[in-house]
Amino acid sequence: MMPHFLAQALWINPTAVALAMSIAGAILSVFVVLRRWAFVGEGIGHSGVGGAGTVWLLALWFPFFDRPWVPYAAVVVACLLTALFIGILMRSGGVSADTAIGIFLVASMAWGFLGQQVYSQAHHGTAPVGWDTLIFGQMRDFSGQYALAAVAVCLAVVLVVIALNKEILAYCIDPTLAEVSGVPSGLVHYLLMLLLAMTIVIGTRIAGGVLVTALLVLPGAAALQLSQRLGRVMTISIFTGAIGALTGVIVNHRWPFIPTGPIIVLTLVTEFVIAFTIPRFGR
Amino acid sequence: MPNLVAISDLDFAYREQLVLRGIRLDVPAGITLGVIGPNGGGKTTLLRLLTGLLQPTQGSISIAGMTPTDARRRGSVIGYLPQNPSIPERFPISTRQLVRLGLAGKTGLLRSAAADDLHFVEHLLERMGLAELADRPIGDLSGGQLQRALIAKALAPRPALLVLDEPTTGIDSLGQRQFIELIVALKAELKLTIVLVSHDLRAVSAMSDRIACLNVTLHYHDIPQHLPAELMYQMFACDLEAIGLQKPVQLGLPRAKPVTVPAGP
Repeated sequence: MMPHFLAQALWINPTAVALAMSIAGAILSVFVVLRRWAFVGEGIGHSGVGGAGTVWLLALWFPFFDRPWVPYAAVVVACLLTALFIGILMRSGGVSADTAIGIFLVASMAWGFLGQQVYSQAHHGTAPVGWDTLIFGQMRDFSGQYALAAVAVCLAVVLVVIALNKEILAYCIDPTLAEVSGVPSGLVHYLLMLLLAMTIVIGTRIAGGVLVTALLVLPGAAALQLSQRLGRVMTISIFTGAIGALTGVIVNHRWPFIPTGPIIVLTLVTEFVIAFTIPRFGR
Repeated sequence: MPNLVAISDLDFAYREQLVLRGIRLDVPAGITLGVIGPNGGGKTTLLRLLTGLLQPTQGSISIAGMTPTDARRRGSVIGYLPQNPSIPERFPISTRQLVRLGLAGKTGLLRSAAADDLHFVEHLLERMGLAELADRPIGDLSGGQLQRALIAKALAPRPALLVLDEPTTGIDSLGQRQFIELIVALKAELKLTIVLVSHDLRAVSAMSDRIACLNVTLHYHDIPQHLPAELMYQMFACDLEAIGLQKPVQLGLPRAKPVTVPAGP
């Protein structure tokens, strides 16, 4: 049997990844909720499934693509490209961003599921590599490098939000008003999109591509129910996200057959319900 | 008086549709110009061109010697109050923080606001009657208080030009009167030049030193009292006397002291 201290050490990486992602997601979630970008997060998160589906289909003809890291690389590329695409649509108008995201979201999911089914059929029922992790999330097999990447993304989010605090707030109040008053709205817009995409890319392996948006919506939504002071909102949001992520880590550690994504989401939903209820009891 | 805004031979088209044609309009420093005209006449487009959000198809606009885009990037030339700012519900900042955000463009990236500018924000809060509400979340403000806070935000960088888009829409008559009084007083105190667009002809006539009637082309540009009734009938199909433009406006307001106005174009 594995010594206790070694078991603990092996869970440092998953815990670090979960905490880093919950903090990054919690900070961004305040802006996502204020600017009503929840659907944007859905669009970026689900596009990863489409990216992985492409790799699973390619793997039928090119064995090179049938490696564990390739579907995840496809998720990264798909999420970043989708964030850029959505960002351009939101700034340029033409087709409404919601419509475009809705179309892109279902197309990505359909393409991803098609890839999974065709791959499974060709491999006598075997699920494609990375399927469970990319869809529902899993806490296992996080390398030290992956944990470092998660911490780096978290630090990037914290530093950008501190450094561009006034520009981001002005943008979130009203992008057009911010632009007229000399705030570089375009820079803030694409920077937020990039941070969202990076958080989703890392968070996908924890919560899964389908549920990763929860990290980017629920903590902020809960915190905004409890306070209208920015400092408090950020603090509550971070604690809410951290509780959800750590619950996912602990449950997955104790019962490895339970994927982390659903546990994190259910914990965050419970926290939101409590936050929604508390102020109303006080009335 | 030197012109703060100079518009020459301005055309603007959305794809093939010409919205503004051959606009020539000078706004001397220190006056209030009210822009009126029927729906689709190009008023809002003109404001978007003035604020650098749109680029002219032809012709040019100069604000304090700069293009609108350059003036906008300075952060201290144009103050803007939009018609319906889309402020998210329960936005978690205080009134003071909101007004200070008006300095974001002027201050620039990675810099803190100057002490002098922060002091001016406190003066504005006091002047707008918001000092006691300065630490309240903006979600707790009434519609009128929020509008005053947004005016303070627009004025925080001490702009030369204040642009108002339909500022009295959705305000009751008492609120409109208070708003007009406030703008007239602020203009004098801060030596502002104001361009406002409005459907509310009473408000425009009460605040403006000059009026521009816009319906794709500029039909009139002069003091409100000289506005020809036939033109108003043509453009708005309404009675001028009913809206108080042929005689002193019946709003119980002192009109803004008329400035010396050069002859119309």
